[in-house]
Amino acid sequence: MRRWVYFSLVPVLGALFWWGMQRDPGELKSVLVGKPAPDFELSLLPPYRAEWGERFRLSEHRGKPVVLNFWASWCYPACYEEAPILEAGWRRFRDRVLFFGVNTQDREADALEFIAQFNLTFPHGYDPRGKVGIDYGMYGVPETFFIDAEGRVRYRHAGAITAAELEKRIREVLP
Amino acid sequence: MRLLWPLVFFAFAFAQTPTGEPPPDLPPEVFRIASELRCPVCQGESAAESNAGVSQEMRRQIAEMLRQGKSAEEIKRYFVERYGEWILYAPPKRGINWLLWLAPLIGLLVFGFGFWRYLAEAGRREAELELSDEELKALERRLEGE
Repeated sequence: MRRWVYFSLVPVLGALFWWGMQRDPGELKSVLVGKPAPDFELSLLPPYRAEWGERFRLSEHRGKPVVLNFWASWCYPACYEEAPILEAGWRRFRDRVLFFGVNTQDREADALEFIAQFNLTFPHGYDPRGKVGIDYGMYGVPETFFIDAEGRVRYRHAGAITAAELEKRIREVLP
Repeated sequence: MRLLWPLVFFAFAFAQTPTGEPPPDLPPEVFRIASELRCPVCQGESAAESNAGVSQEMRRQIAEMLRQGKSAEEIKRYFVERYGEWILYAPPKRGINWLLWLAPLIGLLVFGFGFWRYLAEAGRREAELELSDEELKALERRLEGE
Protein backbone atom coordinates (compact mmCIF):
# COMPACT_ATOMS: atom_id res chain seq x y z
CA MET A 1 0.00 0.00 0.00
CA ARG A 2 2.71 2.43 1.06
CA ARG A 3 4.89 1.46 -1.87
CA TRP A 4 1.98 2.12 -4.21
CA VAL A 5 1.66 5.65 -2.80
CA TYR A 6 5.35 6.34 -3.41
CA PHE A 7 5.26 4.94 -6.94
CA SER A 8 2.21 6.99 -7.85
CA LEU A 9 4.19 10.11 -6.87
CA VAL A 10 6.72 9.48 -9.65
CA PRO A 11 4.35 10.18 -12.60
CA VAL A 12 2.81 13.12 -10.72
CA LEU A 13 6.20 14.77 -10.20
CA GLY A 14 7.22 13.83 -13.73
CA ALA A 15 4.11 15.49 -15.16
CA LEU A 16 4.74 18.60 -13.06
CA PHE A 17 8.32 18.77 -14.34
CA TRP A 18 7.21 18.29 -17.95
CA TRP A 19 4.58 21.02 -17.59
CA GLY A 20 7.18 23.35 -16.08
CA MET A 21 9.62 22.72 -18.92
CA GLN A 22 6.94 23.40 -21.55
CA ARG A 23 6.32 26.90 -20.26
CA ASP A 24 8.03 29.65 -22.21
CA PRO A 25 9.85 31.94 -19.76
CA GLY A 26 9.57 34.75 -22.32
CA GLU A 27 5.83 34.53 -22.14
CA LEU A 28 5.46 36.41 -18.90
CA LYS A 29 1.82 37.38 -18.96
CA SER A 30 1.30 41.00 -18.08
CA VAL A 31 -1.75 42.18 -16.17
CA LEU A 32 -1.87 44.97 -18.76
CA VAL A 33 -2.76 42.62 -21.63
CA GLY A 34 -6.10 43.75 -23.04
CA LYS A 35 -5.91 47.07 -21.19
CA PRO A 36 -5.02 50.50 -22.57
CA ALA A 37 -1.26 51.00 -22.72
CA PRO A 38 -0.18 53.48 -20.00
CA ASP A 39 0.61 56.80 -21.59
CA PHE A 40 3.97 58.46 -20.97
CA GLU A 41 6.04 61.36 -22.11
CA LEU A 42 9.82 61.13 -22.32
CA SER A 43 12.54 63.35 -23.62
CA LEU A 44 14.09 61.84 -26.72
CA LEU A 45 17.76 61.02 -26.89
CA PRO A 46 19.64 63.64 -28.97
CA PRO A 47 20.08 61.61 -32.21
CA TYR A 48 16.29 61.47 -32.70
CA ARG A 49 15.32 65.04 -31.90
CA ALA A 50 15.73 66.33 -35.45
CA GLU A 51 13.18 63.89 -36.79
CA TRP A 52 10.85 63.30 -33.81
CA GLY A 53 11.11 66.48 -31.73
CA GLU A 54 12.34 67.09 -28.19
CA ARG A 55 9.78 64.92 -26.46
CA PHE A 56 7.79 61.82 -27.28
CA ARG A 57 4.27 61.21 -26.05
CA LEU A 58 2.80 57.76 -26.71
CA SER A 59 -0.82 58.91 -26.99
CA GLU A 60 0.11 61.21 -29.87
CA HIS A 61 0.91 58.17 -32.00
CA ARG A 62 -2.39 56.34 -31.78
CA GLY A 63 -3.65 54.73 -34.98
CA LYS A 64 -0.53 52.67 -35.59
CA PRO A 65 0.59 49.60 -33.68
CA VAL A 66 3.58 50.21 -31.41
CA VAL A 67 6.46 47.94 -30.48
CA LEU A 68 7.66 49.30 -27.15
CA ASN A 69 11.06 48.01 -26.14
CA PHE A 70 12.68 48.57 -22.74
CA TRP A 71 16.46 48.28 -22.72
CA ALA A 72 19.68 49.44 -21.07
CA SER A 73 23.30 49.45 -22.15
CA TRP A 74 24.26 47.49 -19.01
CA CYS A 75 21.87 44.71 -19.97
CA TYR A 76 24.35 42.26 -21.43
CA PRO A 77 23.97 40.03 -23.39
CA ALA A 78 20.18 40.04 -23.89
CA CYS A 79 19.82 43.67 -25.03
CA TYR A 80 22.85 43.29 -27.31
CA GLU A 81 21.36 40.16 -28.88
CA GLU A 82 18.02 41.72 -29.72
CA ALA A 83 19.18 45.19 -30.80
CA PRO A 84 20.03 44.18 -34.41
CA ILE A 85 16.79 42.16 -34.60
CA LEU A 86 14.73 45.15 -33.51
CA GLU A 87 16.51 47.43 -35.97
CA ALA A 88 15.86 44.95 -38.81
CA GLY A 89 12.20 44.70 -37.74
CA TRP A 90 11.88 48.49 -37.73
CA ARG A 91 13.37 48.78 -41.22
CA ARG A 92 11.00 46.16 -42.50
CA PHE A 93 7.76 47.31 -40.84
CA ARG A 94 8.32 51.05 -40.35
CA ASP A 95 5.48 51.99 -42.72
CA ARG A 96 2.94 50.10 -40.65
CA VAL A 97 4.37 49.87 -37.11
CA LEU A 98 6.05 52.37 -34.81
CA PHE A 99 9.02 51.14 -32.82
CA PHE A 100 9.98 53.02 -29.67
CA GLY A 101 12.84 52.26 -27.33
CA VAL A 102 12.81 53.22 -23.66
CA ASN A 103 16.33 53.46 -22.34
CA THR A 104 15.90 52.50 -18.69
CA GLN A 105 18.07 53.33 -15.67
CA ASP A 106 21.08 54.08 -17.75
CA ARG A 107 23.66 56.80 -18.25
CA GLU A 108 23.00 58.89 -21.32
CA ALA A 109 26.56 58.55 -22.64
CA ASP A 110 26.38 54.74 -22.38
CA ALA A 111 22.97 54.72 -24.06
CA LEU A 112 24.28 56.80 -26.95
CA GLU A 113 27.24 54.49 -27.35
CA PHE A 114 24.89 51.50 -27.54
CA ILE A 115 22.72 53.26 -30.13
CA ALA A 116 25.78 54.09 -32.24
CA GLN A 117 27.09 50.54 -31.94
CA PHE A 118 23.92 49.07 -33.45
CA ASN A 119 23.04 52.08 -35.59
CA LEU A 120 19.52 52.13 -34.18
CA THR A 121 17.31 54.35 -36.31
CA PHE A 122 13.97 54.05 -34.47
CA PRO A 123 13.34 56.69 -31.79
CA HIS A 124 14.51 56.20 -28.21
CA GLY A 125 13.44 58.01 -25.07
CA TYR A 126 15.54 58.50 -21.96
CA ASP A 127 14.14 57.26 -18.65
CA PRO A 128 17.01 57.26 -16.13
CA ARG A 129 14.75 56.49 -13.17
CA GLY A 130 12.78 53.73 -14.85
CA LYS A 131 9.45 55.43 -14.18
CA VAL A 132 7.82 54.21 -17.41
CA GLY A 133 9.04 50.68 -16.67
CA ILE A 134 7.10 50.65 -13.39
CA ASP A 135 4.01 51.93 -15.19
CA TYR A 136 4.26 48.92 -17.46
CA GLY A 137 4.91 46.48 -14.63
CA MET A 138 8.33 45.69 -16.00
CA TYR A 139 10.42 43.05 -14.24
CA GLY A 140 13.71 43.64 -15.96
CA VAL A 141 15.25 44.70 -19.23
CA PRO A 142 14.81 43.72 -21.96
CA GLU A 143 11.05 43.60 -22.25
CA THR A 144 8.98 44.26 -25.35
CA PHE A 145 5.32 45.28 -25.38
CA PHE A 146 3.11 45.01 -28.44
CA ILE A 147 0.41 47.67 -28.54
CA ASP A 148 -2.33 47.61 -31.16
CA ALA A 149 -3.59 50.55 -33.21
CA GLU A 150 -6.31 51.26 -30.63
CA GLY A 151 -3.66 51.64 -27.95
CA ARG A 152 -4.25 48.37 -26.13
CA VAL A 153 -1.47 46.16 -24.81
CA ARG A 154 -1.71 42.86 -26.63
CA TYR A 155 1.42 41.01 -25.58
CA ARG A 156 4.49 41.31 -23.43
CA HIS A 157 7.71 39.50 -24.20
CA ALA A 158 10.34 39.22 -21.48
CA GLY A 159 13.99 38.68 -22.38
CA ALA A 160 15.76 38.98 -25.71
CA ILE A 161 13.32 38.68 -28.60
CA THR A 162 13.98 36.54 -31.65
CA ALA A 163 13.27 37.61 -35.23
CA ALA A 164 10.54 34.96 -35.59
CA GLU A 165 8.82 36.01 -32.36
CA LEU A 166 9.03 39.68 -33.29
CA GLU A 167 7.42 39.09 -36.66
CA LYS A 168 4.72 36.83 -35.21
CA ARG A 169 3.72 39.39 -32.57
CA ILE A 170 3.81 42.28 -35.04
CA ARG A 171 1.44 40.40 -37.34
CA GLU A 172 -0.93 39.93 -34.40
CA VAL A 173 -1.19 43.68 -33.80
CA LEU A 174 -1.34 44.70 -37.44
CA PRO A 175 -4.85 45.85 -38.38
CA MET B 1 44.92 62.64 10.53
CA ARG B 2 46.47 60.15 8.14
CA LEU B 3 43.96 57.59 9.34
CA LEU B 4 41.11 59.95 8.67
CA TRP B 5 41.64 60.25 4.93
CA PRO B 6 40.47 56.75 4.02
CA LEU B 7 37.42 57.38 6.20
CA VAL B 8 36.64 60.59 4.35
CA PHE B 9 37.19 58.80 1.05
CA PHE B 10 34.85 55.94 1.92
CA ALA B 11 32.23 58.28 3.30
CA PHE B 12 32.02 59.84 -0.14
CA ALA B 13 32.20 56.52 -1.90
CA PHE B 14 29.21 55.19 0.03
CA ALA B 15 27.22 58.35 -0.34
CA GLN B 16 27.14 57.96 -4.11
CA THR B 17 23.93 56.70 -5.73
CA PRO B 18 23.91 55.30 -9.27
CA THR B 19 22.37 58.42 -10.71
CA GLY B 20 24.71 60.69 -8.77
CA GLU B 21 21.86 62.30 -6.86
CA PRO B 22 21.88 62.42 -3.08
CA PRO B 23 19.71 59.66 -1.60
CA PRO B 24 16.28 61.13 -0.93
CA ASP B 25 15.43 61.45 2.73
CA LEU B 26 12.26 59.40 2.80
CA PRO B 27 9.85 59.14 5.73
CA PRO B 28 9.58 55.78 7.54
CA GLU B 29 6.02 55.36 6.24
CA VAL B 30 7.50 54.94 2.74
CA PHE B 31 9.63 52.02 3.93
CA ARG B 32 6.71 50.49 5.80
CA ILE B 33 4.64 50.38 2.59
CA ALA B 34 7.64 49.36 0.46
CA SER B 35 8.31 46.43 2.82
CA GLU B 36 4.94 44.96 1.79
CA LEU B 37 5.88 45.16 -1.88
CA ARG B 38 8.24 42.90 -3.77
CA CYS B 39 11.31 44.23 -5.55
CA PRO B 40 10.52 43.14 -9.13
CA VAL B 41 14.10 42.31 -10.11
CA CYS B 42 15.32 40.69 -6.87
CA GLN B 43 15.10 37.28 -5.29
CA GLY B 44 13.26 37.44 -1.98
CA GLU B 45 13.84 41.09 -1.26
CA SER B 46 11.23 43.71 -0.61
CA ALA B 47 11.18 47.12 -2.25
CA ALA B 48 12.22 48.52 1.14
CA GLU B 49 15.44 46.49 1.50
CA SER B 50 16.56 46.41 -2.09
CA ASN B 51 18.87 48.97 -3.58
CA ALA B 52 18.03 48.07 -7.16
CA GLY B 53 17.17 51.07 -9.30
CA VAL B 54 13.58 49.97 -9.71
CA SER B 55 13.11 49.69 -5.92
CA GLN B 56 14.57 53.15 -5.41
CA GLU B 57 12.11 54.47 -7.97
CA MET B 58 9.26 52.60 -6.28
CA ARG B 59 10.14 54.22 -2.94
CA ARG B 60 10.33 57.60 -4.63
CA GLN B 61 6.89 57.06 -6.18
CA ILE B 62 5.45 55.88 -2.84
CA ALA B 63 6.78 59.06 -1.18
CA GLU B 64 5.25 61.11 -3.98
CA MET B 65 1.86 59.43 -3.61
CA LEU B 66 1.93 59.89 0.18
CA ARG B 67 2.58 63.57 -0.39
CA GLN B 68 -0.48 63.63 -2.63
CA GLY B 69 -2.46 62.27 0.32
CA LYS B 70 -2.97 58.72 -0.97
CA SER B 71 -3.53 55.94 1.56
CA ALA B 72 -1.31 52.86 1.90
CA GLU B 73 -4.10 50.77 0.36
CA GLU B 74 -4.36 53.06 -2.66
CA ILE B 75 -0.60 52.97 -3.15
CA LYS B 76 -0.50 49.18 -3.00
CA ARG B 77 -3.38 49.01 -5.47
CA TYR B 78 -1.38 51.25 -7.82
CA PHE B 79 1.39 48.65 -7.95
CA VAL B 80 -1.02 45.70 -8.13
CA GLU B 81 -2.66 47.29 -11.21
CA ARG B 82 0.72 47.24 -12.92
CA TYR B 83 2.35 44.06 -11.65
CA GLY B 84 -0.57 41.95 -10.50
CA GLU B 85 -0.96 40.55 -7.00
CA TRP B 86 2.47 38.99 -7.37
CA ILE B 87 3.94 42.30 -6.23
CA LEU B 88 2.36 41.93 -2.76
CA TYR B 89 4.45 40.08 -0.22
CA ALA B 90 1.34 38.82 1.55
CA PRO B 91 -1.13 37.37 -0.97
CA PRO B 92 -4.69 38.58 -0.29
CA LYS B 93 -6.66 36.14 1.86
CA ARG B 94 -9.30 34.92 -0.57
CA GLY B 95 -10.02 32.07 -2.99
CA ILE B 96 -7.16 29.75 -3.83
CA ASN B 97 -4.78 31.95 -1.82
CA TRP B 98 -6.21 30.43 1.37
CA LEU B 99 -4.35 27.29 0.39
CA LEU B 100 -1.10 29.25 0.64
CA TRP B 101 -1.97 30.63 4.05
CA LEU B 102 -3.10 27.26 5.35
CA ALA B 103 -0.22 25.30 3.79
CA PRO B 104 2.02 25.50 6.90
CA LEU B 105 -0.85 24.31 9.10
CA ILE B 106 -1.71 21.50 6.66
CA GLY B 107 1.97 20.52 6.57
CA LEU B 108 2.11 20.44 10.36
CA LEU B 109 -1.02 18.28 10.56
CA VAL B 110 0.32 15.82 7.97
CA PHE B 111 3.62 15.63 9.82
CA GLY B 112 1.84 15.22 13.15
CA PHE B 113 -0.30 12.41 11.79
CA GLY B 114 2.74 10.63 10.31
CA PHE B 115 4.70 11.03 13.52
CA TRP B 116 1.80 9.73 15.59
CA ARG B 117 1.46 6.69 13.32
CA TYR B 118 5.20 6.06 13.55
CA LEU B 119 5.15 6.17 17.34
CA ALA B 120 2.14 3.86 17.47
CA GLU B 121 3.84 1.39 15.13
CA ALA B 122 7.10 1.51 17.10
CA GLY B 123 5.21 0.93 20.34
CA ARG B 124 3.44 -2.10 18.83
CA ARG B 125 6.71 -3.65 17.64
CA GLU B 126 8.29 -3.13 21.03
CA ALA B 127 5.33 -4.89 22.65
CA GLU B 128 5.79 -7.79 20.20
CA LEU B 129 9.44 -8.14 21.17
CA GLU B 130 8.64 -8.50 24.85
CA LEU B 131 8.44 -12.10 26.06
CA SER B 132 5.71 -13.34 28.27
CA ASP B 133 6.56 -15.17 31.50
CA GLU B 134 5.64 -18.56 30.00
CA GLU B 135 7.90 -18.00 26.99
CA LEU B 136 10.74 -16.92 29.25
CA LYS B 137 10.38 -20.04 31.43
CA ALA B 138 10.20 -22.29 28.37
CA LEU B 139 13.40 -20.77 27.02
CA GLU B 140 15.14 -21.15 30.36
CA ARG B 141 14.11 -24.80 30.53
CA ARG B 142 15.55 -25.35 27.06
CA LEU B 143 18.81 -23.74 28.02
CA GLU B 144 19.08 -25.81 31.19
CA GLY B 145 18.29 -28.95 29.24
CA GLU B 146 21.17 -28.38 26.83
